[in-house]
Amino acid sequence: MSVATVPLEAPRGRLLRFVAAVVTPILAIVLAILVGGLVVLASGSNPIAAYQQMLVGAVGSPFDISETLISSIPLILAAYAVSFAFRCGLFNIGAEGQLYMGAIASTWVATTLPNWPGLPLILLCIVAAMLAGGAWAGIAGWLKAKTGAHEVITTMMLSYVAIDISHWLLEAGPMTPANAFGTPESGPIPPQAAFPVILPSWILPNARLNASLFLTILAGLVFAWILWRTPLGYEIRAVGFNAKAAAYGGINVARRLVIAMVIAGAFAGLAGMVPVWVQHRLYDSFSPGYGYEAIAVALVGKNSAIGIFLAGLLYGAMIHGAVAMQANANISGFLVQILQALVLFFVGAEMLIRWILRRGGLRALMEAAA
Amino acid sequence: MDIVGLFVTVFARPDLWAGTLRFAAPLTLAALGGVISERSGVVNIAMEGMMLVGAFFAVLVAAATHDIVLATLASVACGGLIATVHGIASIHLRANQIVSGMAINLLALGLTSFLMFRFYATSGTPSDIPALPDLKLPVIYGIPFVGAVIGDQNIVVWLSILAVPITWWFLFRTRLGLRIRAVGEHPRAADTLGVSVFEIRYLCVILSGLLSGLGGAYLSLSVAHSFSDNMTSGAGFIALAAMIFGKWHPVGAFLACLLFGFGQSLGINLQGTGFPDQLVAATPYVLTIVALAGFVGRAVAPAADGIPYEVGE
Repeated sequence: MSVATVPLEAPRGRLLRFVAAVVTPILAIVLAILVGGLVVLASGSNPIAAYQQMLVGAVGSPFDISETLISSIPLILAAYAVSFAFRCGLFNIGAEGQLYMGAIASTWVATTLPNWPGLPLILLCIVAAMLAGGAWAGIAGWLKAKTGAHEVITTMMLSYVAIDISHWLLEAGPMTPANAFGTPESGPIPPQAAFPVILPSWILPNARLNASLFLTILAGLVFAWILWRTPLGYEIRAVGFNAKAAAYGGINVARRLVIAMVIAGAFAGLAGMVPVWVQHRLYDSFSPGYGYEAIAVALVGKNSAIGIFLAGLLYGAMIHGAVAMQANANISGFLVQILQALVLFFVGAEMLIRWILRRGGLRALMEAAA
Repeated sequence: MDIVGLFVTVFARPDLWAGTLRFAAPLTLAALGGVISERSGVVNIAMEGMMLVGAFFAVLVAAATHDIVLATLASVACGGLIATVHGIASIHLRANQIVSGMAINLLALGLTSFLMFRFYATSGTPSDIPALPDLKLPVIYGIPFVGAVIGDQNIVVWLSILAVPITWWFLFRTRLGLRIRAVGEHPRAADTLGVSVFEIRYLCVILSGLLSGLGGAYLSLSVAHSFSDNMTSGAGFIALAAMIFGKWHPVGAFLACLLFGFGQSLGINLQGTGFPDQLVAATPYVLTIVALAGFVGRAVAPAADGIPYEVGE
């Protein structure tokens, strides 16, 4: 099974390539909205009303924008985990499990040290989340390097194991406080360890958006910095581009595979911590599949830091907007999954986009979009 | 009760082994489809979506017609239809096949759940739908233990087991099978010899859709007797793992599916014994990792797997 290989970029035609890089996803989104509208129409509902409700639901008020961002953050962070491995030629299909390990580790640290002061405790939790996610992904990287075990299987299997471990910890007791009346959930995250809320309640009551937004932006910068500004990043991309050539050029491929997976897993671990810190507890089955949707976000975002950030915002907006759409227009919120699938499909089917550009007389753009 | 005694008791239960076969059946169908598709050079991670589509349309048609044959045909056809979309994207549009496969999975989840809400939002799917029949084998049913394991299995279980040697024979003993493998290993050479790469690849992708669709119909019509959102819950991904674990070989994939089926069945049979079944549920996955690292070693995909073919240059 081959993986999306990402070419090392050529320097010429920068502006054109930038425009092309923006035009392709936008056209894909427009096509997805059109086809999704047809689905709504065919099911006997009004697509305009559906999209209007979704848009208003996603960004119609400051509160909704805050909620949209909350939906986006774990997707963006987990997509960095998928993408970082992609850059090294590895298909990390198991960000979900790495995310669970991050959530478990950070929750465990926070609930066992409830008397620690805030800042050191937050930092320790972040480190724990990243280490746990990194270690979990690192197993897959190490197995790949040592034995050639295919990372699609190992990361997926490790995901199921991680989720089962979390079920055991929460359902069979080790992490559940005695006074939880049998509900599978952890004890509360101590209040001093919470991420500070960005907007104080006198500006926007009940807004839950917290400092994890800055952490996500920072993660994006780190992602891009490692890949494009450090020798390690160059070597990781070289391995992803052509492992044999990289080995011939003197790069220790096995070691780069492991390091790439550990760094990828660290992003996912962080992605797992954030929802727990929003809900102030680790609940059983807390992730609605962030790790899987993240694969789509990574692909739509074309494995670049900024692309993933924007794709994550789009997907988060759709997820949050769907809540209002289902309630007000009586159309299933699963329209979102249809739209997400169509965006992904059209981003993948670039030939179709290029054909449209050619028909539109935009040949230069078409060639740059190749 | 000590652990050894507990496991001896559980292992002596025919339920454990009958369950293994039941759980393995849909996985086997999907995994065989995956083997066929990837042997022709089209990466298929979309079995999950194809199964889900099969599961939903089986129930939809079963509820409308009360005809089990029509329902099964509908599920198989819909599996084939969504596989065709994957085919168009990966063969004609030369899309990245992993991207297209993920898109199909998401699309299937969205579409089936969307239609589920549209048709059965308040009530759930009707309970009076027909099921795929169990086959009560006359003599074998009477044999102690063996009868309880295989004497009363579902028709799809037998079909899935039968499909293993058929797929093997098809891929390795027929002319078409040879062509499929040629197209998956070296499409240019096959093309030069007059084999249509596109036709072969479409055929194989659609075949995988048909098989996955049937697996989905089994899950909804005979296991759950209903449809619920995302009811395949990763079975297609397990089938994908089984395909790679089995090194893209029908028999290997089948054995891997049996292992996963056994793990699922063991988890269920240990429920209520005081043994932490959450951790037992994880054992087949751990076993897979250990086996993959220890014994199976490097799995090599067909050489042209995932590479779109461009006609004539």
